[in-house]
Amino acid sequence: MFIKNYFKEVFSAIRSLLKGMRRTGYYFTHHKEIITQQYPDNRDTLNLPDRFKGEVVMPHDEKNEHRCTGCTACELACPNGTIKVITKFEINAEGKKKKAIDKLVYHLELCTMCNLCIVACPSDAIVMAQTFEHSVFNRSQLTKILNNPDSKIMEGIE
Amino acid sequence: MWSLANITNSIHEALNNQFSAGWALFFEMLMAGIAVISLFAILGLVLVLMERKVSAWMQIRLGPNRVGPKGMLQSFADTLKLLVKEGLTPGGADKFLFNFAPVLAIIVAMLLMAPIAFAKDFQLWNLNIGVLYVSAISSVSVISILMAGWASNNKYSLMGAMRSGAQIVSYELSAGLAILSVVVLTGSLSLNDIILSQQNGWWIFKGHLPVLIAFVLFMIAVTAETNRAPFDLAEAESELTAGFHTEYSGMKFALFFLAEYVNVFIVCCIGATLFLGGWMPFHIGNWQQFNHIMDYIPSSIWFMGKTFFLIFLIMWFRWTFPRLRIDQLLTLEWKYLLPIGMINLLVVAAMAIGGWHF
Amino acid sequence: MTGNQIIFYLLALLTLGSAVLAVSTRHIFRAAVFLLFALMGMAGLFFWMNYAFIAAVQIVVYVGGITVLIIFSIFLTQETGEKLPQQLWSRRFIAALASFCALAFTLTQIFQHTFNASKQTAIEVSVQQIGLQMLGTNQYGYALPFELISILLLAAMIGCIVIAIRLKPTS
Repeated sequence: MFIKNYFKEVFSAIRSLLKGMRRTGYYFTHHKEIITQQYPDNRDTLNLPDRFKGEVVMPHDEKNEHRCTGCTACELACPNGTIKVITKFEINAEGKKKKAIDKLVYHLELCTMCNLCIVACPSDAIVMAQTFEHSVFNRSQLTKILNNPDSKIMEGIE
Repeated sequence: MWSLANITNSIHEALNNQFSAGWALFFEMLMAGIAVISLFAILGLVLVLMERKVSAWMQIRLGPNRVGPKGMLQSFADTLKLLVKEGLTPGGADKFLFNFAPVLAIIVAMLLMAPIAFAKDFQLWNLNIGVLYVSAISSVSVISILMAGWASNNKYSLMGAMRSGAQIVSYELSAGLAILSVVVLTGSLSLNDIILSQQNGWWIFKGHLPVLIAFVLFMIAVTAETNRAPFDLAEAESELTAGFHTEYSGMKFALFFLAEYVNVFIVCCIGATLFLGGWMPFHIGNWQQFNHIMDYIPSSIWFMGKTFFLIFLIMWFRWTFPRLRIDQLLTLEWKYLLPIGMINLLVVAAMAIGGWHF
Repeated sequence: MTGNQIIFYLLALLTLGSAVLAVSTRHIFRAAVFLLFALMGMAGLFFWMNYAFIAAVQIVVYVGGITVLIIFSIFLTQETGEKLPQQLWSRRFIAALASFCALAFTLTQIFQHTFNASKQTAIEVSVQQIGLQMLGTNQYGYALPFELISILLLAAMIGCIVIAIRLKPTS
């Protein structure tokens, strides 16, 4: 019984090793699909995976409107204080005071691209962009204000 | 026909005509030394590039492709970088041993070159105990690793050296048993005799299953002996930074690196000599036309082709298998390779006595 | 001086020099390494005398086996970079006396013996002959000592296993 198990182990080990070697051997002989991105040369045709996370941005539509209500859910969700939401009160058409964002300050230098703010956002106001060339000469340039100047919240977002 | 033996013979005659026998011998030794050193340099450049390309292709990458055409000059650039880099000696290190260890590694690799027959009648030293010499000298290579680990005065280095020592000492046994099975069949320890005994077929074909098993054992054991993945516990990057050469930089590191590749080359030379017929061309039985065509390929090309095939096999192992744990490593040797090797040796001995091989 | 003699003196210098360094250094690991060089020098002398088999065996047994064992025991017991303490003068004196006596004894033996230069040409002893002698049962055969040593080694191995084995607690 012991002898039988011993040889069974040896044979299954050899078989599984050969299986692994067949896979790498296949890749070695069929190098058509290459995953290397020759980066600075192919900047125009660079294709990044869908889930690549570069930085947090707030999309605006053509009327310069965003979807952020200023609820600060992203600020609370952020584990290292990357986002700071500065709110203000606006008077809307009906004469009521309503909370809105003045500035959404985003510290790229603190961000770990963990995606928690995007998940936390109830109105899908912020998304992850795929830009990754973030190098600047001065650290202060990494502190960004995500909402455009004079932008407004979209109609119907509560 | 073109052959390396003619060149060496004409050089020998020319030197003996010009000088006395002693000086001729001295110049020949000098030339052999230069030849070995330049072979080392070329091997270092070629094997490093080969390893990087093979690893890249196996991982669906491109590999080096910037320096020179298709990245061919990458290893030149690397060498240049290592040459101009500072060779640091840590303050707490044992200076003499720290600086001597890489040199010893290279000396051992050079000594191992001596009995290898690179082509027909092209051998530095036709030793009548060639195989024993190779296994004896290669057991010294562990000392340079132990020395480097101890002299660095660094715990990672020491742990790497200890692991590597345990590994090399135990895997030498199964490599020895695998080599012995061919020695038993040939009845000689001389590498030249072993090659000549394969005139009518290489041992891996002549020796049926037992020699095939011995070949597999040999390949596994020498992969472990040269400290290459999946047996690279001595320099396991993720656990020990770089093992025994953690503290080395610049040219001293390069010497260790070179010694590793040269050792791979040498064990592959030995494997090609023992199991794949050395410089013997491939012959099929009595098919005369085919055999004649094979004979036209120079013996040096046969030898290098076989050696580089085995080197490729070892690289293939490296880029396929994950690293073993130390207990798995020792289990593999003491519970699997060694008993199988011993029983296999008995079977081979029975086969040699009974004459059951071709 | 012929080339042969030069090589002999170089090897002798290596052997003796590293032997002296091995006993005089105070770093224990260096001592082991110098011992290794001395043994390598001996192997070189055997190669010089064309006794390739004995040279290879010298390297396998002493360099690859015993020195590695010594180095391992140093690794397991000593601290790196520590110097050994200075020896006592009385101990040094006794050691010097002992080695002097041994040297004197060896030298007197060597000088009393008359060496006859052999007229025979050097023969290369094949491994086959060595093997037959080793396992032979005739007059110069070594079969009995060979087997005795095997039994000794087997006993040592069993002893190691007995010491190292960990019995499961019976409960």
